[in-house]
Amino acid sequence: MLADWWQYDFLRYTLFSGILIGLICPILGTFLIVRRLSMMADGLSHVTLSGVAAGMLISKKVAFFSAVNPLFFGMLFAVIGSLFIERLRKVYKAYQDLAIPIILSAGLGLFTVLISIADGFNADLYSYLFGKIVTVSIEDLYALIGVAVVVLGTVLLIYKELFAVSFDEEFARVSGVARRSINLWFMVLVALTIAASMRIVGVLLISALITLPVAASLQIAKSFRQTIFLSILFAEFSVLSGLYFAYLLDWASGGTIVLMAVLVMLVVLGVKKLRVAFR
Amino acid sequence: MEPHKQEVPVIKLTGVSFQYEDKQVLDEVEFTLERGDFVGIVGPNGSGKSTLMKLILGLLTPNKGTVELFGQPLSKFREWNRIGYVAQQVAHGAGGFPATVREVVSSGLVGKVGLFRRLTKQHHESVRAAVERVGLLEKLDQRIGNLSGGQLQRVFIARALVAEPELLILDEPTVGVDQESIDQFYSLLRSLKEENGLTMMIVSHDVGVMSQWVTKVACVQKKIHFHGTAHDFEHNQEKILQSMYGDSVRLLSHHH
Repeated sequence: MLADWWQYDFLRYTLFSGILIGLICPILGTFLIVRRLSMMADGLSHVTLSGVAAGMLISKKVAFFSAVNPLFFGMLFAVIGSLFIERLRKVYKAYQDLAIPIILSAGLGLFTVLISIADGFNADLYSYLFGKIVTVSIEDLYALIGVAVVVLGTVLLIYKELFAVSFDEEFARVSGVARRSINLWFMVLVALTIAASMRIVGVLLISALITLPVAASLQIAKSFRQTIFLSILFAEFSVLSGLYFAYLLDWASGGTIVLMAVLVMLVVLGVKKLRVAFR
Repeated sequence: MEPHKQEVPVIKLTGVSFQYEDKQVLDEVEFTLERGDFVGIVGPNGSGKSTLMKLILGLLTPNKGTVELFGQPLSKFREWNRIGYVAQQVAHGAGGFPATVREVVSSGLVGKVGLFRRLTKQHHESVRAAVERVGLLEKLDQRIGNLSGGQLQRVFIARALVAEPELLILDEPTVGVDQESIDQFYSLLRSLKEENGLTMMIVSHDVGVMSQWVTKVACVQKKIHFHGTAHDFEHNQEKILQSMYGDSVRLLSHHH
């Protein structure tokens, strides 16, 4: 059973993609959560969905685009959506979290309209919604590798700026940190990560992978750095075990991964409670 | 001794006015802070004292007038590491943030170290020194959620100190801090002024406590109503407050 993972290309691609997603999602997730922006992933994933639908529709109707992976339309929409969120957060200064439901419903509205125009799509759409192992192509993997390199490079290069802006935006600004550019770039990275992770966990479940491992690690981490490391550990465990069981039992990969992440969180909460009780 | 050029003031405001929408908050304010001053900015809620501070920090831009820092107009000023800033603690809501004292204080170096650069061994040393300076060395690797309000406030002082600023600006630093910690806090500030030669500006509505510690007081209510030594302020308090608050002054002075 385990040998299958090396024998078949699509399983290898899935495995590599899973490892990359398990690395970058919790890193970005940690910064999002401490900034109280965890719903951002949800909003952006729905915009990405509408982008994918638009991509499918265009490739169906316009011969020129028929070879273009709908994923890239998803990325484009997600980036535009992230720029909109930053804009809306400025317009509604007093209600910053309002930007997310606005973007979320706009994305979902666009998505359903596009589906109705296209007269429905094939089963492919299901994989974008919930994630499906067999659909991961080498092209998807390359896109994900590109995004992962950019995310990791950014975090390594401007870790201290990201921390400063996340911890205390006003102080960072007074320290002369280019807070606006950093926020914008960060949101673009979140958008790209969501779009690129879609094939594995599916658009509807991606925000779970961004938030759940971090929620678990917040409970026990002793520092910010450790919060990130532990959340990566939890995410990798969820992804690998989730993929394994999904293939073994023929379950939806996204759902299985998310259930594993929920399980990890419950175990962490339980262990913490026991430790407090027996102290 | 040779006559030398008079030193440029640390802060200089000339004819500064500011309004939020149609409400005039500050009107033609003139204000100067000299090197080595420890000035307390007092005024009731909504008097414009926080606005004054935000204008100095470049967080707001005046509608009229000019702000100069270390002799340079604000629009050209880039040496932000010469200024340390400690915000109101309640504004942070930082207790739940999963960071250690060391991580928070290190973030005070972000402007000084510069983009894409990592902290050197020397920087880590200065973080340690700043934490020691505020007396929290044994908490260095604790999560800030485990600290009391007074300790957390000292962490923010350390974060402001770590980049070795010449000017320290504090906004309502004692809100949410218990009485004993407040005295400790002010004596820490005083020793920073005396031993490290810091210039300090502290914004507070708690006139009574603060005026015992600072060397100068400025009273803000749209304009600067009084700007002089703490000694003069103590002696003319009744009169100054009356000119600012009108009749409500009686309520206030009963507090101390």
